[in-house]
Amino acid sequence: MRNPFLSLFFLLFLALSLISCSKLSLREKSPGNDPDDTSSKPLSYQHGIFVVNEGNYTWGNASISFIDSLGNSPIQNIFQTENGRNLGDVAQSINIFDSLGYIVVNNSNRIEIVDIKTFKSVKTITGFFMPRYIEFIDSSKAYVTNIQRGISILDLSSGKISGIIPVNGWTENLVCLGSHIYVSLIGEFKEPSSGRKPQIIVIDTQTDKIIDTIPTGKEPIGMVLDKHQKIWVLCSGGYDNFEIPTLMRIDPHLRKTEVVFKFPTGQSKPSRLSINPSGDTLCFLNGGVFRMSTDSPGIPVHPVVNADGRFFYGFAVHPRTGDLFIGDAIDYVQNGVVYQYSPHGQLIKQFVVGRIPGAFCFAPGSNR
Amino acid sequence: MGQPLSEKLSNSNFLKTISLVGFLVNFLFTTTAQNFRDTLRLPLFEVKSAGISDVRGFKKSTLDSVMLIHHLDADLSKILSENSTIFIKSYGNGTLATPSFRGTTAQHTQVEWNGINLNSPMLGQMDFSQIPVSQFDEIEILYGAAGISKTSGAFGGVINLATNPDWNQRLKVTLAQTIGSFDTYFTNLNMIAGSQSFQSHTKAYYSSSLSNFPYYNDYLGAEVRQQNSSYSLAGISEELFWKIKDKHLLSGRVWYNYNDRNLPPTASQYDQNHIEKQKDKTLRSILEYKYVERNFNAVVTTSLVDQYMNYQSDSTWNSTHQYYSWINRARFSYHGVRNLTIKPGLDFTRDWVHSDSYDGIKTRNTTAIYADIRYNFKDIVTTTLILREELVDNDFLPLIPALGLEFTPIRNIDWKISFNLARNHRYPTLNDQYWILAGNPDLKTETNYSTEIGTGFRRLSPNQKFFIDANVSGYYSWIYDMITWLPVEGSNLWKPENIDEVLARGFEVELTLKGDVSDFLLSLTNNYSFCRSTYAQANFENDNKIGKQLIYIPVHNLNTTFSVERWKFFLNYNFCFISDRYTGKDNLSLMPAYSLSNFLFGKNFTLQNFILSLQFEIDNIFNLDYQSVANRPMPGLNWALTLRFSFASPLKR
Repeated sequence: MRNPFLSLFFLLFLALSLISCSKLSLREKSPGNDPDDTSSKPLSYQHGIFVVNEGNYTWGNASISFIDSLGNSPIQNIFQTENGRNLGDVAQSINIFDSLGYIVVNNSNRIEIVDIKTFKSVKTITGFFMPRYIEFIDSSKAYVTNIQRGISILDLSSGKISGIIPVNGWTENLVCLGSHIYVSLIGEFKEPSSGRKPQIIVIDTQTDKIIDTIPTGKEPIGMVLDKHQKIWVLCSGGYDNFEIPTLMRIDPHLRKTEVVFKFPTGQSKPSRLSINPSGDTLCFLNGGVFRMSTDSPGIPVHPVVNADGRFFYGFAVHPRTGDLFIGDAIDYVQNGVVYQYSPHGQLIKQFVVGRIPGAFCFAPGSNR
Repeated sequence: MGQPLSEKLSNSNFLKTISLVGFLVNFLFTTTAQNFRDTLRLPLFEVKSAGISDVRGFKKSTLDSVMLIHHLDADLSKILSENSTIFIKSYGNGTLATPSFRGTTAQHTQVEWNGINLNSPMLGQMDFSQIPVSQFDEIEILYGAAGISKTSGAFGGVINLATNPDWNQRLKVTLAQTIGSFDTYFTNLNMIAGSQSFQSHTKAYYSSSLSNFPYYNDYLGAEVRQQNSSYSLAGISEELFWKIKDKHLLSGRVWYNYNDRNLPPTASQYDQNHIEKQKDKTLRSILEYKYVERNFNAVVTTSLVDQYMNYQSDSTWNSTHQYYSWINRARFSYHGVRNLTIKPGLDFTRDWVHSDSYDGIKTRNTTAIYADIRYNFKDIVTTTLILREELVDNDFLPLIPALGLEFTPIRNIDWKISFNLARNHRYPTLNDQYWILAGNPDLKTETNYSTEIGTGFRRLSPNQKFFIDANVSGYYSWIYDMITWLPVEGSNLWKPENIDEVLARGFEVELTLKGDVSDFLLSLTNNYSFCRSTYAQANFENDNKIGKQLIYIPVHNLNTTFSVERWKFFLNYNFCFISDRYTGKDNLSLMPAYSLSNFLFGKNFTLQNFILSLQFEIDNIFNLDYQSVANRPMPGLNWALTLRFSFASPLKR
């Protein structure tokens, strides 16, 4: 060519044209949802533990990790793998009824129903108001708590929302006892703690009517039933540190508060109240993991598992083995770690999971 | 010929050389346009001289108005992502767009409009989708430590949007109307009127769009249209310039911007009843006096910014944030002593914030003294020492020094080598300090050490038909005590902490080629950046981020523009490539790389002093279904048709 400038010109242009145009999937790739990743998947998800990785708010990266009954390294993102689509935004919890798993996806306002064996989607139910947890009444009915508007009533046979029990604000945990269900109500989401009226509401599951309320401390974020059929309620004291956190015991039949334990001040916020298989020991997070007998005269001072620079975010007690499962969210912007500890705090195993491991679900066949 | 005053400020031989090249280029290619400056013919060959900021030994580049004229309907994010090495993280069409410059976060890039800071004192960053290109004449990019000549804390750099008086115009009117995909409309009016000593510039714009583009929603497994995405943007600015005897320049500027937008749901939140919106109203005004003498000049500026923002979402949130900033700057320059130039300066800013997210009204006073001392050795080496000391309320920041060296090894050849070293500090934002329940009053300032080496070469061929401009620069930058918002245990709150240590290093290559081949005016502009910005320290037991790239910062960023012009037809092809961006600090998840191609074609019709220009633009020609930010859909192929009419009546000389 006559001019060196000109040759350079066209060479560059040619090179650029070559880089361009290639048909790719341009969505987020993460372990378990990479189409190029062909690692083996189990034949069945029936006997294992599901770890609910919340994912980051609005990032749409919620996922489920699966730990099989042999405790092999977890399989990531199984919903995506089995269904070819993402789970959604902020997965809150899973609950299993019969052979179906109900995954509550908070910020996508939906529940994904999957077959526990295959993890294939059976149905997607939409129309919730930032749902939190699901509890089953019988084979035809379930209740779903929401951050807004009230408790959704689910018709399990049709897979449709059949109604709503209107409640002012954010409903959280559910405990079913006889023909009543006890639901913790935190209060109006947009109000500060001072303006919220936290309580346990008692609903007659036959009529779907609220028949009574029991006031609680601010922000009742945990509720379990012990072996004496007493309800324990963990109150964080409010996101704005309105009051000292409390743990209260309620007699569900008399609908009266029996005991209120105040947490020592100056500690971080307690969360994730759980109970051991025999129903006599409460466990919760408060920095580290704490165990407390239901007969204890006060809140324990020493943790059974120290946090040691870890960020314990998710927690549950295995309903059959009593092992402690802890989710370390690290700084929320990387994949988390799940620890399995013995009931008395011996580390058994640790697993790398997905983003922000918050909740666990132990499939009926999981016994380790 | 009335030269801009700023050009008179530069009197070194070196700058004269550049100016000469610029002048020749302009002269050569404008003579064909006879008595009327066909501004649409210029873009290929305009080479700017000193520009607005005169930084030596530091890197600076300029995108000028003639290049911008095809994109009057665009916002700043589009222009920068297509024509610079700054990565723009876009949340969608017309929604939030923030920069990442040299491996830093959005808060480390400062945006200025004629010398006043546009970054919100609350958030410390600027939304680039809010600034229409039609609103300024020139974009000046100051890289890394070059920003110290303007402000503190801009570890990435400073983007200065400038408007300049055009003393050659008696009357110039430009009226443009764009119609585009997804019911997008943009109307723009620019009017310049005045004499050789007085100029009035009026700019007004209105744009609106439904922006309901179709995309494939992975959560629904179906193609849907974007919801709740419409926006409207309107604004007007008036600028008056008054020149007295080439010695005094008095100017006043007012710019009002109104933006009302619905914020679309993320793909995973897809909901036809989604309600989320944001309203912004901003009034910015500047009063400036400039005094120019042979050895001395002074610039004194006072300005007021009034910014209102309201955010609403469903019934859950409704929050309003209002701030006022009173910004004052004084700059002096003296070069009475041989080869020595001294430029002292004084800045004072008062911010006043009333926000629903703060507990009461918060204010901040920032006072800075500044000195720029330059010495020129035989026109071969220029050394620049910049010192800046800031006082924020009652806190003295550590000294901010920057040292720059520039060599021009061969006389009469425009080849320079530059080197600089600097330390910089960034004070926490008001949100960092005062956000209700989260603000951390104990935060320290962030610290940055940086060094950079670069070389640039420009040459116009002897037959004056070819022009090359090539630059290569490498930088190494260490950020200590970087402020990161972290979750608070046992709650949903996040709190800022001085915990991160980041090492950013990389290089940038810019190459521009222009040529006249048998009357075809060809131009090829390329910008490439390589950037590794990694965490140097872990903070938690399982923290897996040491040596890992910061999230949403691509390692490779390339854009290239090819244009050709002949018979008043113009054709422009732009290509951008953005490499993978990690979405986790452990670098296990990522957004895949993408490349976009945009195409623009048009023709100018000229008749005496009138130009009618018709242009058709297709963006994302390969209809790529991509996302810049995870879960935030971006439009596929989209087009825009623009009809532009201009009339110019230059002053008789």
